[in-house]
Amino acid sequence: MKRREFIAKSALTATGALASPYILPSGRLFAPTGNRSSQHVVLVMFAGGVRHQESVDMSYLLGSQIIDPYAGNIMYNMLTGEAPIAKIAYGTGQGGINPIPQLDYFNTQGTLQSQGTLFKEVKALAAGHFGGLNSIIQGADVNGQGLKQRPLYPTIFEYLRRHGGYSATDVWFVGNTIDGSLPLLNYSGNPDYGIKYGANFLAPNVTFSDPGANHLSHGKIYHPENELAPMFALKTFLDNTFSQYGNALDELGNTEEEKQNIKTFMNLMYEKVANGTNMLPPVHDNGDAWTVGFAAEVMSHFKPAFMCVNLSSVDVCHSNFTGYVQALHRADHAVGFLWDMIQSDPELAGNTDIICIPECGRNANPNSILDVNSWAAYDHSDANALRIWSLMAGPSFQQNLVIGSETEVIGQVSDAMLTVADLLGVKPEVAASPYLAAYTDSFIHQIEIHG
Amino acid sequence: MQDLTNTNQSKATSGMGSNLSAATAALAAVTMFLSACKKEQIGLYELNEVQLLPDAANKDKLKTNQQFVSILYTNLFQAGLPGGDVFELDQLFQSIGDKDLAKEVLISNFFNDASVQLPTTTEMNSDLDGFIENTYKRFFIRLPNEAEKTWLRNFIQSNQYITPEIVYFSFALSNEYKYY
Repeated sequence: MKRREFIAKSALTATGALASPYILPSGRLFAPTGNRSSQHVVLVMFAGGVRHQESVDMSYLLGSQIIDPYAGNIMYNMLTGEAPIAKIAYGTGQGGINPIPQLDYFNTQGTLQSQGTLFKEVKALAAGHFGGLNSIIQGADVNGQGLKQRPLYPTIFEYLRRHGGYSATDVWFVGNTIDGSLPLLNYSGNPDYGIKYGANFLAPNVTFSDPGANHLSHGKIYHPENELAPMFALKTFLDNTFSQYGNALDELGNTEEEKQNIKTFMNLMYEKVANGTNMLPPVHDNGDAWTVGFAAEVMSHFKPAFMCVNLSSVDVCHSNFTGYVQALHRADHAVGFLWDMIQSDPELAGNTDIICIPECGRNANPNSILDVNSWAAYDHSDANALRIWSLMAGPSFQQNLVIGSETEVIGQVSDAMLTVADLLGVKPEVAASPYLAAYTDSFIHQIEIHG
Repeated sequence: MQDLTNTNQSKATSGMGSNLSAATAALAAVTMFLSACKKEQIGLYELNEVQLLPDAANKDKLKTNQQFVSILYTNLFQAGLPGGDVFELDQLFQSIGDKDLAKEVLISNFFNDASVQLPTTTEMNSDLDGFIENTYKRFFIRLPNEAEKTWLRNFIQSNQYITPEIVYFSFALSNEYKYY
């Protein structure tokens, strides 16, 4: 080797050694550079295409149903405003004429809006559900994202686990269904991230259903040392033999201890459901209410750093406006229940933040379908479907603050993801990602500017 | 003139015959020389190189949820899983993010079923090599190699708590069992 060549190679080796990442005991490559300001964050993807008009505009039927021009707030746990006084069809009982009462907690403590910050006019990046959900969890403009396909870019779950060192049971995604490719959202197909940084996913309405109880609730308990230890020793031998041929799969990365904890949780849920003692909002006559009930159980059992929960019952609006306002009223009730439960848990109260954001809105004009009340239905495909909002509360957010208006759009849907990253200490790493949508900014930073 | 011509022709013919004989003789001599000097041909036959791998190396297709639960049920119960159960278990697997964990839970449920087909521990120990071969055939559709057989034999003999159930559980959870 020539002298010049030797020097060049030596310099490269030295540079490589200095630049190569140091693997921290937690398994992550680098220590996170951001400051964690929140112990727990809940992100509610609310709730299947919510029109601005019936939610933060509190228009109820005014403007949407020409025959019944009555306005009012049907989300009075989350939003501050008077309820409608006529044509009530969003409640319980025959015709939905009995509104669900405001939860006691909000009656005494004030609405979620009064406890936090409302970004009243936020821009969605997609008018469809899967694109919208992807834009929330990836913080990315999701052009090119296909259905039945894992997220193209890293999700907030993967950013947290890779850069923040969070464990698998510290990061949860609770889905309301297994339809619509929802189970694909807990990690991306990005080669630098992927399953080993994914979130634990549960669609509890399926997992803890009757078939779930039939097939999965009678597991045999094995002795940890006498039975489980040799079982896994043998499995390791078999896997090592097979790994010579390169077919080993990456896994989600739950440790054995975490797996046992999840199994304990599952058994507890089967037992609670069988006994009728699982957590549920007072009114729980739809899937979203049950989903939120199980999400509350996940929060209570695992105390995760981050939980994302998806609701989608309001999507009935494609063909049933009455069903839509009923589902919207229940989604508010369910989120209120979740926040109430968090405030009553000593480990979660006072150190948990919540962010609620729709994945998309709905159209300005109705389609031709009329429901039992002769009310017109709404799809989601036009500019109005890109009008959304975001409500956040908890110790990290300024109270009783409203930012933005119909004439002043402040924030976009991808900001929710960066806000989670900000609260949990990985904002610098996420902000440096090439995958973020243009103009993405943490809501916390925007509050500092506009608050 | 005519005679002369004939004579000349006869001479010419006679000369040509002489030349032809010489040429033939020369050709024969050259042929004999060449064939006599030809090197002996050595037959050389080559085969394409073939990399020999064990059966497990050909398993590169991941089983779907439905394939996994159907095959597992057949392996453990020696009977087919009803179609409705296949559908329900597929849905349940989709509802749980950690598929390995879902498999563990399902297998432990199967082993709690009295109709699972298992040899007894006594049967296992009475013919350990046979048990090992049958287990490999049942779960991996192949025979174990000598190293695998030896390791597993020693492992079972050195662990007093090993039962056929524990062995079957490990095989059902293994990475090789995820593929076909």
